[in-house]
Amino acid sequence: MSAAKRVQQWATFARTWHIFDCKWQDPYESANVIKKYLMGLHKPIYHPMNDCGDVVVCINSREIALRGDEWRKRAYFHHTGYPGGATWTLAWELHNKDPTMIIKKAVYRAMKGNLQRRHTMERLLIYPGETVPEDVLQNVTNQIRQTRLVPTRLDQIPEEVSKAYPKVMDYPEDYILK
Amino acid sequence: MAGLVRAGFSFARNAIFSTSVRSIATTNPLNLKEIRERTEGSSIVIEAVNVPSPRTELLVRAENLPNHEPAVSPSEKPPCYMCALGLDVKHTDVLILSQFVRSDGCMLPRRITGLCRRQQKKMGKLVTMAQKAGLMINLTPGNCKKDPKKRREHKKFNTYFDERTIFMKKIPKPVDRFKR
Repeated sequence: MSAAKRVQQWATFARTWHIFDCKWQDPYESANVIKKYLMGLHKPIYHPMNDCGDVVVCINSREIALRGDEWRKRAYFHHTGYPGGATWTLAWELHNKDPTMIIKKAVYRAMKGNLQRRHTMERLLIYPGETVPEDVLQNVTNQIRQTRLVPTRLDQIPEEVSKAYPKVMDYPEDYILK
Repeated sequence: MAGLVRAGFSFARNAIFSTSVRSIATTNPLNLKEIRERTEGSSIVIEAVNVPSPRTELLVRAENLPNHEPAVSPSEKPPCYMCALGLDVKHTDVLILSQFVRSDGCMLPRRITGLCRRQQKKMGKLVTMAQKAGLMINLTPGNCKKDPKKRREHKKFNTYFDERTIFMKKIPKPVDRFKR
């Protein structure tokens, strides 16, 4: 085996570390993307029996965005096993308790339930803010593209930009400016 | 005779008290106005000053665009300016949506925006979505919780909206069924 081929072999079977910024991302949409990298589905050498999944580091999981009124409509069920031990926690209550839990459960549910799932989940690292431990961050070599555009708030746009922006509506002539 | 007298009275009353049609005016009533308040010595002077519209030069209209095709039949009512532009406005396009609101974040009424009914409804809902998502927090009343992080319970987390949920019912286009 030549030296180039040997390096290609290492590169093929090495675990790549990806980073994913969850800011303003829907966890259930982005779970389908993260899942592919975790399981190694994006690789041509993928096979369920070969261990080719990558590591995904999710940052800013506190800043995830849910659609419409899902923060108060979506409930997470848990049962302790005892009679009357069922609890339903709303999404905003769960996010208050643990800001990493919603994205973790979303990725867990996106994957098929088999014996590999718990081992694959070990490769998902979630951080609520932007601070990531240095030993994790130095492995990262790739960034996963976000599924949704992060919206810009009007107060973050400078005054001169919003004034010079093309206008659609003009005031009628007898309108009193306020 | 009585009818004639009543008609004469109503004509005279209309001529005196009518506010909608002012044939005689000492000032030019139809101009964009700004109310200014200043103090001169011991008296406060409040005056309405005509100002040029700040938006006229930047205005985009479909008929001024280079590849504009006018409506097929001239007999039909022309579409409103937003329908004619055919923009796909999202609730995150705050630079467009902020043109339809007052400085306190309220939607302007239809007689001021000049939109058709459907577009007015759509823009109103898009403005609501943008406000709920906390994207136009500088256009709010003074006592409002400006920062979304300071809101309570489920309102303090980021929310996005799907624009397809605005018109859940498919509204048929107005067609004259009796036209030959």
